[in-house]
Amino acid sequence: MTEQTPSPNPTEAPIDPLSTHPASPFLRTEAPEPVAFASPPNLVQQVPVSATWVTYRTQIEFGLAMLAYLMVLVGSVVVVQANPGAGWRYYVVVLPVAPAAFVVWLFLRALARLDERQKRIQMQAFGFALGSTALITFGYGFLEGAGLPHLNWTYVLPLIALLYGLGAAIFTWRYR
Amino acid sequence: MKNRLRVLRAELAWSQAELAAKLGVSRQTVNAIETGKYDPSLPLAFSLARTFKRQIEEIFEAEGSLV
Repeated sequence: MTEQTPSPNPTEAPIDPLSTHPASPFLRTEAPEPVAFASPPNLVQQVPVSATWVTYRTQIEFGLAMLAYLMVLVGSVVVVQANPGAGWRYYVVVLPVAPAAFVVWLFLRALARLDERQKRIQMQAFGFALGSTALITFGYGFLEGAGLPHLNWTYVLPLIALLYGLGAAIFTWRYR
Repeated sequence: MKNRLRVLRAELAWSQAELAAKLGVSRQTVNAIETGKYDPSLPLAFSLARTFKRQIEEIFEAEGSLV
């Protein structure tokens, strides 16, 4: 007779984890490998400040101030034309001076921030604009004496601005 | 006025923009100084000398007689 090995006590047999059986629906999963690359960047935080704003901040501020000036100017003209006899029209008419003063302040601040070469260019451009305007207005004044029509004085400021821009372009080019 | 700015800047591998940022001027100003189109003021010349740790005479050289 052969001796049969006693069947092991099921209560003492090691318990197979459910995941080791090939047919087990429970799969042991390994801890995920650490990623070899950094987390994707947080696009919300890493969006750089607009390069356009950084580069053209002064020009944008100047443009917005000019826009405000034009809006107030048009508004005041419309209001005064609708109320030609009102006693308060003098206050409304001078309202555009406030945004215009802001434009002047922005311009002076931009000048103060320039470096020494840029300041020299601006000074030469101012001289060019002043001298050219003097020559043109004097010349046209002589022509008016000979019979040409009288021009409004408000043309002088745009003329200065135009010649100033032209002078700035010329003297900037000379230092290139 | 002649200067050795471009050489000194190249030795340190600085771009014009980097040097301009150290000096507090625009890149175009650095370029104008390098090409001899613009002579810097005395304070800016001293800033340049300090930035390159050299004497002003080692960077700039007057053309012709100074007297």
